[in-house]
Amino acid sequence: MTYIGHGGKEIVERVLEPEKAAEAIKGLTPVPIRGQIAREIIDIAYGFFTPLEGFMTRADVEGVCNEMKLANGVLWPIPIVFDISTEEINEKGIKEGDKLLLTYQDKPMAILEVEEIFTYDKQEMAQKVYGTTEDKHPGVARTYNYKDKFIGGKITLVNPPKINPPFDEFFFTPKQLRQKFAEKGWQRIVAHQTRNVPHTGHEWLMKGAWLSTHGELPVEKTLTGVLVNAIIGEKRKGDYIDEAIVLCHDVLRKAGYFREDVHLTSITLWDMRYAGPKEAVFHAILRSNLGLTHHMFGRDHAGVGTYYDPYDAHRIFDQIPEGALNIKPIRVLAWWYCPICGEVTYSGLCGHKEHSQNFSGTLIRSIIQDGVKPPRLIFRPEVFDLIMECAEKYGFGSAFVTDKYLKERNPVFSLPDMKY
Amino acid sequence: MSITINIWINEERYEKLQKAGLANMAEEALAGLKVIKVPCTEEQKDKVLKVFPTAKYDSATTKSIELLPREVKDKIFDLVVEKQSIDVMDDFLKNY
Repeated sequence: MTYIGHGGKEIVERVLEPEKAAEAIKGLTPVPIRGQIAREIIDIAYGFFTPLEGFMTRADVEGVCNEMKLANGVLWPIPIVFDISTEEINEKGIKEGDKLLLTYQDKPMAILEVEEIFTYDKQEMAQKVYGTTEDKHPGVARTYNYKDKFIGGKITLVNPPKINPPFDEFFFTPKQLRQKFAEKGWQRIVAHQTRNVPHTGHEWLMKGAWLSTHGELPVEKTLTGVLVNAIIGEKRKGDYIDEAIVLCHDVLRKAGYFREDVHLTSITLWDMRYAGPKEAVFHAILRSNLGLTHHMFGRDHAGVGTYYDPYDAHRIFDQIPEGALNIKPIRVLAWWYCPICGEVTYSGLCGHKEHSQNFSGTLIRSIIQDGVKPPRLIFRPEVFDLIMECAEKYGFGSAFVTDKYLKERNPVFSLPDMKY
Repeated sequence: MSITINIWINEERYEKLQKAGLANMAEEALAGLKVIKVPCTEEQKDKVLKVFPTAKYDSATTKSIELLPREVKDKIFDLVVEKQSIDVMDDFLKNY
């Protein structure tokens, strides 16, 4: 079955069959890559980043930075680049027209066709994408850490990754997800982007977004679903551990806070850039490739510090020409706890602002860190118990990322041994 | 808005507060969950962040020092009970 992704392009999986792959990589120059690049190769190869077929050329990067468009005119807000040092290029004699064997975890992973080797002013890239050149901004810091040259060109996966437990049951390629949606009979699907363990503020964001998405559709059948799409990428100390994020979202359905037929948990491999509004557009593109029809955007989506206004990530969608994006933004305000209403309620409806008690992510993390079980109106007991279980099972005693977790955790995916 | 360290009150901590006649010290923060807000000066905040590198100061929303290890919070809480006061940060930081 043919599936159409972002930019009207068919979703194509750029993955070689094992026999062809072994043959194709013989004699190629190996180039080891880091985790970010490995994750992006998986995204490109399975169509998460449709219409990208590889890492961007200079024309693409220029278009993205200056006009938020690829060289072919398709909307795209964040550069996806393969960086490499001049030393490595010289040492390995890499030139345009070559094919490179990208290796990860000391195993073959993908072929990169060297279409173009180029430089780009990293400060300019930072300013145009993130609106700042301050290296305190994590996206800017990531940009400055790129090596001095970039290679643009197509990639082909030669050694598909094995997704390790507990993530294996949550990883779906865009094609697999679309098949799943069809099986479920969902006509509309709204994305909940997350890097957090869910408190009831998140739960109600999802429920509110589901209601908005379902809109005028008939109610006798379940025609609308919520897809939790957890971003799994580079971790920083103090983040929730990945296992807790994914499993705790899933337990919301297992414990009945969402019906079995309206909720699905999934992951996407991506290193957050914290680009605020630009990243919101990127997330919308990504989820449109997954087959979603709607995307919920809350307060300060993908923001960091005070670089963006909390609703910049809403307003950017007003600037996007009709037809450039095949997914509808669902814009929402926060949900809060109101002691007068005696419930978690929508801040856009509740008239008791002066009494409202906000869900602050930091505050909730502080409560968990203290090991104090919050009231079930704030945190579902099943979620809290599972966080504690995940801390023991996966987090070396902590629900939050520690040095030990960074060093010793089980990898999200591994590359199988490959004969060639 | 002054800088605080939030000590969340579970049953064990509440029992200690009650025994010391300090149950009123805890205020309701979130859907009935109680908290003691221990005040910090700017200097105390800087020292806490230096001594406990995992801690973070949430300048944007809560103006509180968060993500302190649980043992550290326990020590601060015990000092509150001992001194029968929330102004304990000078005493607490003497040891660091």
